[in-house]
Amino acid sequence: MRIAGIKSILLVVVAILVVISAYFYIQDKHLRVHSDMAILLAQLQELDTRIDRDVLRISSFQLDQYDSLVETNKEVLVALGKLKNGGLGDKEDGVLQAEIQKYDRAVELKMALVERIKSRISVIKNSLRYIPILLEKLEKLDDVYAAEGARVFNYLLQYEKFKGRVARSDLDAMVKSFASREVESGVQQIGENLTVHFNAVLSGYDRISELYQVINDAGTREHFEELYFRHSSLQEKEVINSRRSSLIFLVVIVFLLMGLWIMLSRLDKARHLAEQSSTRLHDAVASLPEAFALFDADNRLVLSNEHFMEFYPWLRGKQRDGLTLDSFYEENAQHLMGFSLSGEKLSLEDLNTMGGSYYIEHRGNERWYLASNNETEEGGMVCLRSDITEAKKAEADLRKLSRALEQSPASVVITDTEGTIEYVNPKFEQASGYSAAEAIGQNPRMLKGGERSEEDYEELWQTLSEGKEWRGLFHNKRKDGSMYWESASISPIRGNSGEITHYVGVKEDVTERKKAEEQLRMNATVFDTTAEGIMVTDPTGRIKTVNAAFTKITGYEAEEVVGRTPKVLSSGRHDEKFYEDMWKALTQYGNWSGEIWDRRKDGTVYPEWLSIAAIRNDRGEINEYVAIFSDITQRKQSEEQILYQANYDVLTGLPNRTLLMDRLVQTILSARRDDWTFGLMFVDLDRFKIVNDSFGHVTGDELLQAVAERLKGTVRDVDTVARFGGDEFVVLVHGITVADDAMVVANKIIHAISEPFELDNRSVNIGASVGITLFPWDVSDQENIMEVANTLLSNADMAMYQAKSSGRSRYRFFQSSMQEQIKEHLALEQDLRRALENDEFYLEYQPIHEAYEGEIVAVEALLRWQHPERGIIMPGEFISLAEETGLIGPIGEWVFFNACRQVSEWHQREELFTRLTLNLSTRQRGLGFNSAKLARILGETGLPATALTLEITENLLLEESSEAIDWLNSFKDCGIKLSIDDFGTGYSSLGYLKRFPVDTLKIDRSFVMGLPDDTGDASLVTAIAAMADSLGIDIVAEGVETEAQWRFLRDIGCDHMQGYYFSKPVSPEEIERVYGRESKVAEPVSTSDQA
Amino acid sequence: MESLEYKQDGKSTAAVLYGCVCVFFLVTAGIQPAVGDSISALSVPEGLSEEKIRLGDKLFHDPRFSSDNSTSCATCHNLKLGGVDNAYRSIGVGGRQGVINSPTVYNLELQLSYFWDGRAASLEEQISGPIHNPLEMRSSWEQVIGKLREDNVLLEEFEATYSDGIKQENIADAIAEFERSLVTVDSPFDKWLNGDAAALTDAQLRGYRLFQSYGCIACHQGKNVGGNMYATMGEMGDYFKSRGGEITSADLGRFNVTGVESDRHVFKVPSLRLAKKTAPYFHDGSVPSLREAISIMGRYQLGRDIPPDEIALIEGFIGALAGQHPRIEAAPE
Repeated sequence: MRIAGIKSILLVVVAILVVISAYFYIQDKHLRVHSDMAILLAQLQELDTRIDRDVLRISSFQLDQYDSLVETNKEVLVALGKLKNGGLGDKEDGVLQAEIQKYDRAVELKMALVERIKSRISVIKNSLRYIPILLEKLEKLDDVYAAEGARVFNYLLQYEKFKGRVARSDLDAMVKSFASREVESGVQQIGENLTVHFNAVLSGYDRISELYQVINDAGTREHFEELYFRHSSLQEKEVINSRRSSLIFLVVIVFLLMGLWIMLSRLDKARHLAEQSSTRLHDAVASLPEAFALFDADNRLVLSNEHFMEFYPWLRGKQRDGLTLDSFYEENAQHLMGFSLSGEKLSLEDLNTMGGSYYIEHRGNERWYLASNNETEEGGMVCLRSDITEAKKAEADLRKLSRALEQSPASVVITDTEGTIEYVNPKFEQASGYSAAEAIGQNPRMLKGGERSEEDYEELWQTLSEGKEWRGLFHNKRKDGSMYWESASISPIRGNSGEITHYVGVKEDVTERKKAEEQLRMNATVFDTTAEGIMVTDPTGRIKTVNAAFTKITGYEAEEVVGRTPKVLSSGRHDEKFYEDMWKALTQYGNWSGEIWDRRKDGTVYPEWLSIAAIRNDRGEINEYVAIFSDITQRKQSEEQILYQANYDVLTGLPNRTLLMDRLVQTILSARRDDWTFGLMFVDLDRFKIVNDSFGHVTGDELLQAVAERLKGTVRDVDTVARFGGDEFVVLVHGITVADDAMVVANKIIHAISEPFELDNRSVNIGASVGITLFPWDVSDQENIMEVANTLLSNADMAMYQAKSSGRSRYRFFQSSMQEQIKEHLALEQDLRRALENDEFYLEYQPIHEAYEGEIVAVEALLRWQHPERGIIMPGEFISLAEETGLIGPIGEWVFFNACRQVSEWHQREELFTRLTLNLSTRQRGLGFNSAKLARILGETGLPATALTLEITENLLLEESSEAIDWLNSFKDCGIKLSIDDFGTGYSSLGYLKRFPVDTLKIDRSFVMGLPDDTGDASLVTAIAAMADSLGIDIVAEGVETEAQWRFLRDIGCDHMQGYYFSKPVSPEEIERVYGRESKVAEPVSTSDQA
Repeated sequence: MESLEYKQDGKSTAAVLYGCVCVFFLVTAGIQPAVGDSISALSVPEGLSEEKIRLGDKLFHDPRFSSDNSTSCATCHNLKLGGVDNAYRSIGVGGRQGVINSPTVYNLELQLSYFWDGRAASLEEQISGPIHNPLEMRSSWEQVIGKLREDNVLLEEFEATYSDGIKQENIADAIAEFERSLVTVDSPFDKWLNGDAAALTDAQLRGYRLFQSYGCIACHQGKNVGGNMYATMGEMGDYFKSRGGEITSADLGRFNVTGVESDRHVFKVPSLRLAKKTAPYFHDGSVPSLREAISIMGRYQLGRDIPPDEIALIEGFIGALAGQHPRIEAAPE
């Protein structure tokens, strides 16, 4: 209250200060605005005066330079700018703004007029300067006339200087008479000139007086005065306004002061009231039955009653010294212990943090206080304590009883006489699944499972109402729906007057017991009905019991075996060790399982799958053994079948690849151990595929079976003939000591297979290719067995391929060089893959010449490979590899692009105009090279399509597929020419020349080589030339090396030639050097001596 | 004062002449008898901000002021060449030809106004002209400020110089400040004015006398020898008629600004300080040589024909008006 009062007073004081300072601020601002405006106006007035003064000075010719005017001009512009935009004066006042506008316009007009006067005066000055010079000139010619001119000039000056003394009309007349005077022509010219300047001066005077007039009319002074007046009147108004606002401020301040006074008097009244209520409070506190203490915000004890000191006798006397809350807590901590309502012990810190909640204090002399410390609004603390010692004692007694109930292992339910549940113990909650809260208020029938009838309950109530105890079994249902059995005892509780007030039921869950009984029953059934034989023995191994299945499997009845040991069943197939191991496992791990052969009562032996487990008692000793077994005779049989299928080829009955590998490994092991040798042959049928394709799979299968039979006939029983897959067989021949032995067997095989087969009334001829490898010669020593086996197989395979490629029905021995070849092949392939990236390719060009003149007409681009280790490799060595691997795609495009670029560059530099011939590989079709790509290369390099010839081999034509023809035609459509390379070497057929879009034939070098002496070649080449001529196809001869060849070819009409006689393939620089623009001759360069 | 009385006997023309001349001198020289006062010496400007000059210098040479970043102020106002491009018409953005001859950017402070027709009252105002002119920089303040604000270095420099960074007023202020620093001092004539009698040759001195006596000095006066007043082109004869060609809107001069008939063909009198270096001449750049320009001025402004030998002398005098500034290349004499 008091604090709030002081705050309001402060607020009022601040408000007064704010109002006063606002008043001064506003007054000050008004003053400043007005003084700024006044200064500006004074400045403008001063500038205006300066302009007037300057005008006067200019027009009286007193000012020779105008720089000062420019300065004034600029100052005026700045001041006017301030006036217009500077925010001075009252923006709201329309009249003032209009006055400013008017004044601004007037001043600007005035300044513009001043500029005109300046210009005008300059003209006058100019004339005034010139007139004396003219007069001087005139005087020399005609002094009388000059004197008249001088007079006019004199009057002119006087007219300006002393207006009124000379009349304007006189002056005009004088000028006129001067101008009209008749004089000789030289004089007249000067006279006219003088007249012009007299008139210029006169009109200048006129113009200036007009301008003066306009300046006066502009009335800057009048406008200024109006502006000034307006400003003053506004200022006056402001002053009146400010007086009015001062008055308002004063009134506000008076009101505020009055408010302040009222507040102060109210505060005083409030203090009186507070004192009064304090006295009342003391009385009230003293009469409280509880102990009470109040601490203020500084934790000092300000108020307490007598009970407080009784509760805490050790505090007596201390309150005089100013007991604080902290020392109160600390003292108490020495004499009593604090507990939360839930019974946890409290520390001193806890008391500080628990806010206003209740807690218990326990004093050593068995006294208990219920305590609470509540914070007051102003931050102090109210401490209340009531004595609860009696209640505490009763509670302790009750707790003991309740503890017994809560820990009881039996469910306890207490109901009233109507049967409504009033109490359940935790065991009940656990057993029924209902919490106490859910159960209380319900009837115990909520657990009813349905197995008891209404009569049973009648009987129960009858017994109870007679005051007797009832015992029985309930089949109850839990909250989750599961059922359980309880045995119950229910008895009444009597009140003080002997009447029944409650019933108490004590129940025990007997479900587990019931369940165990059922489990036992079930186990017995399983034991009797299972298909697996079961036998139980005691720890010594004597049979205690067996089941029905035991009898069924073994043939022994229970009574025949009980008391005996399982040895009765022993088949005798297992040795002592087998049983020892079994017992060891049993004692060590507690169980054993495995396959075992036993003997039935009828003497037959059978396999069974036996599992034995040791059953231990609580002390871990073995009580008994249980053996379970099943007859696995059936399974055994099917396993064997599977094993056969896994190792033998179904079709031929020969060992399959798996078994072959197994035997091969065994053979290698044995051969190594006993130091003997053997041979491995890979047999592949020739033309089997044709038979299969023509006569069908059934015939093919029959053929394979027949082949298998014959193969088996060629070797001894100890040798292995295996079907390796498809039409491949492998023969493992033991005891090969020299290669000749193997040769004999191989020949036998080839011979056997080459004999015709009679299949389906048809005679079928096939052949066999055989690859032979010999152990141990063809393998290295240190390899492991599997590697050796694989090496042998791959050796034989390689040798077989070699045999096949050398012709059908042959055999070949494996040679290590085959391996080398393959390795080298692989290495070259790796290098080739990297060659493009590493930029190892380059191009050489061989020129093609015109036959007669020897002019170069084309160049053939030839690919070279600069191998980093092997040096230059020619295309013959790697192109087929590139085709095989598909690398021909990127390599081909590289060649195309670079060759086209080179030739195009020659064209563009006008170095050499020649066609370009490139070799196109058939494989490029499959790798996506097409006319679009070619067109793109041509486009990018700038080579015209008509300058390009693509060479293809005859093989491409042999394909004759429509795709191949379309492919070639699409290139033709680009505009390029097609040439057939190596013409004459392939399956030349003149027919295809008609069907294919061929432009040129290239006669193969092999025909040219024999020219002109070899008559065969000569006539062939002549025929080709004649034929080509008739078909309109050009021919090019390649490999021309001698002059004689050149002459011969030239004479039979071969137009173009290529070969060492002209030039070998050379670098592009060499081509440029020899054939380029700078070269002198295009003579054929004979290099035949090098060739 | 007696000489003012015209002697009626009329015998002595000499006396009359004497009287005339006396009156003339009294009138023209008036209260300021020292003839040298029509032209004053230029001095190095004081009180300019070095920081702003540096910034203005940079902006003056910044081509981002043009729409295609091709043209800066310095493109047409080459400081080495005397603040002009020596072209008949200047070439702006995209090779467009302007309509008027570029005036020099030296000695601008005491100019009455800016542009040939004086349409800008201050340097700061003038700067907007070329920026928006479609034949010159073809840009706008918005565009220019946008481009400059992308330049972090420039942003920092502006922040250091102006509290409110890059904006139109500050850019104009910096460039104007730089331009104010472009004052040519220590011309031979200024030295002569300051008492160094040997600074002018006899011929130049004679040229100066002629400059005065022909009345050139009536308009070309002040520190800048011009630039502080307007004058009609062809006061004493029709310049445009004898020049030939069509009258372009640029030929109308101040009429374009005021719309007042008497302002037709009125132009700001140009400063002659650097006239020697700033060929070709006049607003239309139609005259390639200074001598021809002097001759035309004599005929159309003063109404007389100045003989060639005197023109040469006047030309010599005008040459002596050119002062020095570190940015001007030494004239290849």
